[in-house]
Order: sequence, then structure tokens, then C-alpha cells
Amino acid sequence: MLRRKRKASDFDAEIKAHIELEAERLQEEGLGEKDARAAARRIFGNTTKARERFYEYGRWLWWDHFWQDLRVGARSLWRAKGLTFTVVMTLALGIGANAAIFSVVRGVLLRPLVNREEDRIIYIRQSAPELSLENMTFSVPEINDLKARATTISAFGDFSTIELTLLGFGEPRLVRAGVVGGSYFEVMGLRPALGRLLSAQDDGPGAASAVVLTYRFWTSAFNSDPTVVGKSIRLGRLTGAIVGVLEPSVPYPADTEIIANMVTSPHHLGATMNTDRTHRMTEIFGRLKPGASVEAARAELTAAHGGIMREHPEAYSARANVRLSVTPLRDQITAPARTILLTLLASAGVVFVIACSNVANLILARSIRREGELAVRAALGASHGALRRTLLAESLALCGSGAILGALLAWPLVSVIARFAARFSVRALEVTVDSAILWVGAGLAIAAAVLLAYAPRLPSSKASTGFGLASGGVRITTGTNRRLRVFATTQIAFSFVLLAAAGMLVAALIALQAANTGYDIRHVLAFDVPGSSPQGVDFFAEVKRRIDELPGVDGVALGSFVPWRDAGRWSVYQFAVEGYTPADGEENPYARPRFVGPGFFPALGIPVLAGRDFTDADRRDGERVVIVSQSIAQRLFPNGDALNRKLWLTESRYELRNRVEPARIVGVAADVDDENVARSRAMTIYYPYRQFALGPVNRLFVRASGDPYALVPAVTRIIREVSPERPVERPATLEDVRAEVLEPERMNTFVVSGFAGIALLIAVVGVSGVLAFSVSARTREFGVRLAVGATPQNLLAGVLWDGVRIAAIGIVAGAAGSFALASVAERFFGAVRLPGALPLIGAAAALIGAASVASLIPAARASRVDVTQALRSQ
Amino acid sequence: MLILRTLIFGSEHGQGIARAIQRTSGEELLVEHGALYPALQRLEERGWITAEWGISANNRKARFYSLTDAGRERLGKETTKWKRLTTAIGRILEAEEE
Repeated sequence: MLRRKRKASDFDAEIKAHIELEAERLQEEGLGEKDARAAARRIFGNTTKARERFYEYGRWLWWDHFWQDLRVGARSLWRAKGLTFTVVMTLALGIGANAAIFSVVRGVLLRPLVNREEDRIIYIRQSAPELSLENMTFSVPEINDLKARATTISAFGDFSTIELTLLGFGEPRLVRAGVVGGSYFEVMGLRPALGRLLSAQDDGPGAASAVVLTYRFWTSAFNSDPTVVGKSIRLGRLTGAIVGVLEPSVPYPADTEIIANMVTSPHHLGATMNTDRTHRMTEIFGRLKPGASVEAARAELTAAHGGIMREHPEAYSARANVRLSVTPLRDQITAPARTILLTLLASAGVVFVIACSNVANLILARSIRREGELAVRAALGASHGALRRTLLAESLALCGSGAILGALLAWPLVSVIARFAARFSVRALEVTVDSAILWVGAGLAIAAAVLLAYAPRLPSSKASTGFGLASGGVRITTGTNRRLRVFATTQIAFSFVLLAAAGMLVAALIALQAANTGYDIRHVLAFDVPGSSPQGVDFFAEVKRRIDELPGVDGVALGSFVPWRDAGRWSVYQFAVEGYTPADGEENPYARPRFVGPGFFPALGIPVLAGRDFTDADRRDGERVVIVSQSIAQRLFPNGDALNRKLWLTESRYELRNRVEPARIVGVAADVDDENVARSRAMTIYYPYRQFALGPVNRLFVRASGDPYALVPAVTRIIREVSPERPVERPATLEDVRAEVLEPERMNTFVVSGFAGIALLIAVVGVSGVLAFSVSARTREFGVRLAVGATPQNLLAGVLWDGVRIAAIGIVAGAAGSFALASVAERFFGAVRLPGALPLIGAAAALIGAASVASLIPAARASRVDVTQALRSQ
Repeated sequence: MLILRTLIFGSEHGQGIARAIQRTSGEELLVEHGALYPALQRLEERGWITAEWGISANNRKARFYSLTDAGRERLGKETTKWKRLTTAIGRILEAEEE
């Protein structure tokens, strides 16, 4: 077929020459010219057959015909643009979604980690779920005890996270550093991309400070500079050397920019870290000894842990019920995502099947109308194989376009789904689109095409004669029709549930975004300014003074907590106030501590409802004062005399030892909720930072009269002038901080809405398919009705009404189903939010509208039925 | 095989081959001339004959076929096979007559 072929015209010439030669010969033998020619042709035989055989020789005819059918099929599809478009889009959606989700599943769940021998790496964690402490982390003495008692582990690796200021590379910036022991990289089985990784030589207080860059940090901040190894960098007050770059790998347990040895972090060498059993901040990994199993390690470590807890009961809160868990590394990284991803995959599969069945419906409806054509071709001699081939060519054209479009769709879909999955597993960030998509898409498309080609029944040889050519028989039995209707109704019900859920989420999101937070979020700029200042400089007093002088600044204040962004930074503490005794059986109330400077409340737009704000006079040597939030004042002293009472913290936790002096309440501020996005009553105690702070107070707030972001360069400059080595990080208005924090909610809403949209589209196609099918089958009935006096408008209205009825039944079914679902869910999950009236009505309206639109085309076709044609068919 | 044999005597065009077969078989084998061409096509594809347009004895254009070396070899093999077959059949038939 692919060889250099002799042209057909060449052969024609040869035949002609042959006949002429023969004619000549016969003439020589005595025949007249005309007779000779006729005889020559006769002797030659059938020229057409000769030409045909010449043409067919060496050609794979089936293939040849197939290409022809493809061209013809494409043309006829082009004529039926509506159907083609719908089918192609439906298939594209189904194939694209499946391919995208499959890519993500493969990237997150199936791909092996780069870590060497990853199945021998385990992750060890202690937790106290009753205290909501999912990960308590470990203290160094605890780790040493575990190390001494574990025989199934050949080596432990420890990892803790701190923040250091990186100096000398452009602007001072805050980097997260993982601080590890020398065995860490060996245990994790990682390799360097450049230089070397940390090892035992970097352990101990005498070693030089060594730093490994993570791959992502190296490419982004150092531009993949290959000469970076050996350079020295300043971290805080220390200088360290870059010894290597880590290969690209999953950042677990924390996404850090650098990984350094213990010497680099003075804190890690200090007494607190190494002797205080309750100072916990380290995570540990282990590598199993050859021959040891995870179960054995788990049993041994749990027993060892139990022993340690018994020997040192003072380090463990009695209520806590601390337990140990040992998980293989891969499971730890992928487990949270597994359920979600597999659910997504299953749903995508279901969606594809439904999409295919809808497409099959539409194609079937069309093939009914083509029965005549197929019957004529059969009568003219086309074999069943030939007819199938025609159908196959057409369905391949359809499915092929659908697959190509689906592959294109899969590209952006992968990034959306990966972003969504990243909330559950860090690995999702590394998912890229790969050729797996194309194979999946092609496979699905071919499967669909073959199914579609074999769906229509071909005219059988037992067809009745005469004009009953299109008598494949009325294969639309009432059973088929009802089944199709039930199918379409189910799709509508599904879409209703999804649409209502999406509507609910959208309403909730809008409410959240519009909620009154208690702050003036648009005009307040927040900065992280960690780090330290040169000796003798009162950083904040100086900075505040200078920023106040800037034009456009309405207020400057220092705080310890950026609302929502710093959530979780401090926990709650029990407190008591003179004159208030808790009711019988109740404990002392809990409140959140915040450490602020003077001018905090006006700068953030929080009204001070009673008493006064902090002033510069509230210093270390002055009287101890606090300001409380409104909910404390109202709950503890309903008749409104909270001011001037003494308040003190009653916690006996380590950090508070020796620091729990009582303070006088000098002011009451309005309630704000800076931990949760949805507001709740929050009891907060504000301390002047100069008198008392439980941690670094390094958040700066600037209130602007105009555009807050315009002030960022000036503020940064001032901070640099006062304290050149302080990083100025994450400047953002409170509004933007809140938007960023709402991102997961937004993501959820987006995904569910996306699903709802897809479900709606599918349901619409389903309704359209059912009606198209039914209209095709009822052509004769329509002809009869037209003949006895119905108008085309009647027919159109009839079909439209049919479609709306399917939708209505579907909506009722969906509503009933979702109520049932909600009550079941309530039993398992506790209170479930039910959508309000608005999302329900909206969903119903959307569905009825969509169903009407979907019914229009079949309805229009019904109204255009030609009476005589219809009466003649069948 | 017959075609190959005919071409032993030199190149010939399609009509000539047909006539030659007819004549040499003593008018026993009368074929439709057109039926020759699939065979010619097959032989040409297999490389046992080659073809070229040329001028015939009466100044007409015709496509002339000639035997290749491979074709010659093939003819030898086929002829041997054929002779063995006919000898064997002949022996059986003669044996029956006795």
C-alpha cells in the first residue's frame, strides 16, 4: 500500500494498447476493422474487472474504504452541527476530567518517592487528640530515651523548624530553616543535587555551621547558580557555609528553604532544648533495620514510649492520653489525600459512563432517522461489515474530536485539581501533566467509539419488502422509553442536589466575605518584622515616631498577632478576676492573650468601649495593667463594673512560672475574632507588650488614610534605616489577609460549583437525548396528529411540556433524596447545614430553564415533521 | 509459470504473451486476455519480470515484459516441480490401467 504505485492511467493505457494490437492482429488474419475491434475487446474480457483487480491488488481495501467513510462521516457530521457539538463537548468533559484526575492520582498516590528505599522509612509521632494536639512533637530528652530503647530501628533522623533571618543576599529576609542531626539525610535516603548533604561530621557543638539549600529555594532565590556551594551566608548573628543543594523531593514534615546543622541555631545548643523534657519541637523519622517490619517497630516503640511516660509523669498532662503512632513515610504523606482522590476518581468515572450513555442516546436518535439510508445501502449490496465500518468511522470522528478536546481541557483541569489536592497532600504540588493523559484519553475515546458503532441495530436481511425499508422494527418499546426517562430524571435529581449544595456554599462564601469583622480591614496594613535590632535601639518607639510623620498615616501600632494569618500562634489560658467566682462545677474561664503597644485599638479600628487605651506610661516599671474584650466584661460582670478589678492568669504551665502578677483592668475593647474566619464571641486579654509578652512581639500595623500599599516602600525604608538587618515580610492589608485565609473556602466552593455545572450539563444533554429519541420514534404519530388537525405549535408545546415534566419530577426526587441524605448524614456527622430557600429555588429554576432549552431542539424537529413522509414511514 | 516460460524467448508485450500461450499450447488453452494481467502484476511485484514501455513491430506503443535472473531461476524451480508432479500422477494413472 505504501510502495511506489503504478498509476491507474498507466494500466489503462496498457489495456488500450493490448486491445489495439489484438485488433490489428485479427485484421491481418482477415477480419474487417470494426469486427476486429469488437472481437479484440471480447477476447480481452471485462476491462472494468481488469481495472478493478489492478486497483485492488496490494491494497488493504478495508482501510481504503475506511478513509472514505471517514470523509463522508465528517461531512455528514458537519451538517448536523448541533448534535456534533453536543456530543463532542460531552465526551471532552468526560474524557478531560478523567484524564486530569487520573494524572493527579498517579502523581500523588502511585508515584514512588525519590527517597532511597522509601518503604523502610517510618515517621513517628506523639499526639494528644483529646487536647486537640494532633502533633505534639518531641523534646530532645524524649528522643534520646527512645533512641536508647529501640532495637528495630537502625538510625533516627530528627527535624525541627525555626525561622532565621538571611542576610547578605539582597534584602534581609526571613527563611524557614529545618535543623537536623547528621543522620537525617541518611535515614531519609536523599541525595544531593549539588555538593554534599549534612552528615555525622556536622554534628556536635564544635562543628562548623553548614547549610543545605532545598532545590526549590536554590532555583528561585539563587537562580540555580552552580557556584553556590562553598559560599558563606549570614543567618541572624551567625555565618554559615553552603555545603550543597538537596535534590527535588517532597518537603516533609515542613516546607523549608534551607536545612542546617545544629550549630547554626543557638537555640538548639542551649540548655532548654537539650534538658527540658517538655520543650517539644522536634519531629523524628526512623529507618528500619534490615529484617525488621513496621509492625515490629511500632510495637517496640509504643512499649518504649509507654515506659518513658511512666518514668516521667510530670512531663505529660494527665488529661492528655498521649499516644504514639508509627507510619511508613509514604502513607504519612499520601494518606489524607487518598480518600478524596479516589472519590474524585470514582465520580469522574461515573460521570464518564453517564456522559457516554447520553451520547449513545443522541446517536441512537440520529441513527433511527438514518435507517432509511442504511437500508438502501444494504439493499444495494453493502455487507454488515461495510455498514458497521461506516458507523465506526463516524463515531471515531466524533470520539476522536472529543478526545482531543478533552486532552486540551485536561491541562488546566490538572492544575486546578492539584491545587485542591495540595490541601491534603504536599505531593500534589509536584503533579505535572504527562503523556498518561493522552493514553487514557485515547483509550476512553476508542472504547466509546466502538460502543457507539455497535449500538444501532442494522437492517436485517429479513426486512419486509416494498417501502417498508426502514423496518428494523419499532425498537422503541415502551420499556426502553421508560428506562431512558428514568435515567434522565435521575440525572436531573443528581444535578439538583449538587446545584443546591453549590448554591449553599456560594451563599456562605458571600456572607463570610461581607461579614463585619470588627476591624477596619481596608485601611490597615500589617507587616511581619521579625528579627532583632542593634543594641540600645528602642526599635518600635523610633519606627513609630518616624512612620507617624509620614503623610497619609493615621496611626501606627505594634502587635503580636496578625488577624487570621497568625491563627494558632498562641493557645488559650485560664484566668481569674477579683470579684468573680465561677459557678459551681465550672472551671476558670479561658481567654486568648494578645500583646500590643499604645495606639493599637485606634489603629486597627477597634472601639474602646470603656476606660482607656494603653499609653507610653504603661512600661515595665509602672503599674501592671490590662485591657479586656467586651465578652469578658459582659460575661463575668453583667452589671458593667469590670473596670479597675485585678486580673491574673491561673495557668501553672512552664512558660508562666514567675510571671503571673495580677494586673488592673483599665479598659474594655469591642469584641473581635482574629482566630476564626467566621466570627464568634472571643474572650481576649490585651497586655502592654513592654510589661508582659509570651513571645516575640513583631507585628507592625499602619493605618492609612489613602491607599495602604502606597505606604509600603516608605515604611520599609524607615524600618531599614532604624534596624538594617530586620526583614520586612508579607506586607498586606487586613482585607487581603482575610481573602488569603478564605482561599480554602473559595476553593471548595469552586470545586463543588464545577461539579454542579458539569452535572447540569450532563443532565441537560440527557433530557435532550431522551426527547430526541422519543420524537424520532413518534414521527408517525406526529404525522397522524398533524393530519387530523393539530398545529405544529401544538406538537412543539407537547414536547416542551414533556421536557419540563421530566425536570420537575427530577427536582422533586432530588429534593426528597437530599433531605433523606441530610438526615442520614446528621446521624453520622452531627449537625449538617441545610441550604436555605434561596439556593433551592435557584437550583430548581436553573434546572427547569435548562431542561426547556434542551427540549427546544427536539421540539422544533417535532413541529417540522412532514405529514406525508411521516405517514409513509413504517 | 506459463508466462515466465513464454518470456524465455525474449521480451514481449501483454497481447503477444496471450497469443503465444494460445499458439504454443496448440489452441488448447484459450484464456480471456484480461485475466493475464493480475498474474503479470503479481510477477512484476515479486521481481521475476520487469516491464518497460516500448514500440512494437507495427509501430504501436506497448508495455514490454522481460524475465529477470530471479525469474529465470524461479522458472527452473517451477518447471522441475511441475514435471515431478505430472510424472507422479502419470505413474498412478498408468498403474491403474493395468
